[in-house]
Amino acid sequence: MWLVFKKEIKELLRDRKTLFFMVALPLLIFPVLIGVAGFVSKQAMDKAESQVLNYALVGGQYAPEIVEDLEQPDKFKLVEISENEDFTTIIRDETVDFVLVIPENYSSNVLENGQTNIKLYFNDAGLNLVYRRVNEIVKSQSELFQQSAFSVLGLDETQQSALIEPIVLEKVNTADDRENWGEKIGGMLPYVLFLLCLTGAMAPATDIGAGEKERGTLETLLISPIDRNKIVMGKFLTICFAGTMTALLTVGSMVIWGLVLSQGMAIKFVADFMAQIAMHDFLLIFLMLVPVVAIFAAVLLSISIYSKSFKEAQSYMGPMSILVVIPIMLALLPGVELKGAWAWVPITNVSLAMKELLKGTMDYYQLFAIFGSTVLIAGALFAFCVYWFNQEKVLFR
Amino acid sequence: MIEIKQLAKKFAVENPKKLSEQEKKDPRLKGRFFHSVQDVSFTCHKGEVLGLLGPNGAGKTTTLRMLSTALKPDSGSVEISGDNVLANPVIARKKIGFLSGSTGLYGRLTGRENIHYFGQLHGMSEESIVKRINELADLLDMHNFLDRRSENFSTGMKQKTAIARAVVHSPELVILDEPTTGLDIMATQTVLEFIRGLKEQGTPVIFSTHHLDEVEELCDKVTVIDLGRTMFDGDIASFKALAQGSLHQSFMAAIQSTTSE
Repeated sequence: MWLVFKKEIKELLRDRKTLFFMVALPLLIFPVLIGVAGFVSKQAMDKAESQVLNYALVGGQYAPEIVEDLEQPDKFKLVEISENEDFTTIIRDETVDFVLVIPENYSSNVLENGQTNIKLYFNDAGLNLVYRRVNEIVKSQSELFQQSAFSVLGLDETQQSALIEPIVLEKVNTADDRENWGEKIGGMLPYVLFLLCLTGAMAPATDIGAGEKERGTLETLLISPIDRNKIVMGKFLTICFAGTMTALLTVGSMVIWGLVLSQGMAIKFVADFMAQIAMHDFLLIFLMLVPVVAIFAAVLLSISIYSKSFKEAQSYMGPMSILVVIPIMLALLPGVELKGAWAWVPITNVSLAMKELLKGTMDYYQLFAIFGSTVLIAGALFAFCVYWFNQEKVLFR
Repeated sequence: MIEIKQLAKKFAVENPKKLSEQEKKDPRLKGRFFHSVQDVSFTCHKGEVLGLLGPNGAGKTTTLRMLSTALKPDSGSVEISGDNVLANPVIARKKIGFLSGSTGLYGRLTGRENIHYFGQLHGMSEESIVKRINELADLLDMHNFLDRRSENFSTGMKQKTAIARAVVHSPELVILDEPTTGLDIMATQTVLEFIRGLKEQGTPVIFSTHHLDEVEELCDKVTVIDLGRTMFDGDIASFKALAQGSLHQSFMAAIQSTTSE
């Protein structure tokens, strides 16, 4: 059995194409792409922040303080427009980035004049920071007005804040940080892990069954004096190994690159979050992967050995990823929890368990159901693989 | 010694509509089954070379696959020096070296690694594998390409490696399915030399072929199969005696006895 496994791994390691998908893609190419995307979007944000905005002003004479605040040549540039210009047109043809219309009743005396409504015309469809930047100026002015009104009324600080917000509804989250983030990250984790496992296992699986048939090496292997079970086991382990390795490498690289790229920003948060998860929970997450990979490997190997050629195997395996996504999606539905019958649904139960483990709310007794059902299914599928390896009509199709 | 008695094998026809006109006319198609091999018997003694002849689709490959235990016959018996192959396939596999007609190599392994792997599968010790590979490399003239990846091998190199792989465990019986098909003259000659070498060592060889000159050169015995039945089984002299003139005519005579039946 180990003989077959060793030889398959040796062959796998010499296959540059498969190796590329297994190792280079998750380790180097994806992080680089994500990094580039992050860099470009950061650049765009910086540009929007520091860009000089052209603006037109109507009724500026009513609000000299705002006009004064806008006089920052490195941030805003005033454009003169004629009186009856259509704002939409000049914004569309980019003569100005925004138009600020200040009404006649603008006054610092809030108590007498009531609320003032300043209109900001701009194109809000794309990514821009126009509103935020203008709001900064208007808001500081607004606060000044508020203060002066409060002092006229002679209110103390408590009364002031009570007036601003008479009733406060305070959120008290009984879930700690871990549970909160565990729910979010834990929902995503199975998607990433399972699909990576599947893709990582697919390439060697095709090669090991259909590929061997196509090249004509299968017959020779079958008549060597080694039990069929051992051949199947060796091949099965190779696929499992490849799938697990791909998933682990990718997750590992994501964590490392994530830490490198976020440069201290999120490190504390990530470190805190990780620190809360006990080592044995991590170990369990990894262990969970094992029966799932076993299910994948058995299905893939059956498909592969049934197929006459590479091409046939690949077209059968294509829909697998969709089939895998469905049970993971079930795990995200509200009301679906790791208990009762759900704990016995394969893949869904593992997705749920991964979430629970990250959240720290795992009911460890459910592990029996999870391992029970997955081992049962993986075992049955494995037995089916062995059965198919003994079927002449499958081997000599 | 190997003794084959009344071997038969049928295959289920999954979709009878897909069969070609010729296949539909074949008398071996009965209902939902295609009786590929119906009654094949022959024997081959120590030091004998047996040539298995027959038209395409006669059942040669199926017969050889049953001998090699890749397929399980429906009825009949195969015995190698007294051991029942069908009851003990794993023991039989150790005694047989089989080269299939459609065989390939693991492209990403070198020639040496390919042979080595099968040596290991046969449970040979490391030392004896290394020794045996050197021996075979001398015999088949493989030294200059043995350590290259086999995906870049020429047809001749591949066939030599495949033969070496088939006999790495020094089998008691060697079965070759069309070993010279598609080879150039030089490579063919190496293969024939190799069979001759086996014969000198007393190892019985059964090989199927379409080249009658090879039969004349090497074989002590000839078995002709047509439509899944043994049409002729005897020594080369009696095969020659079937017709006046060339072996081709003898072959035609052997086949014709079916058609006239």
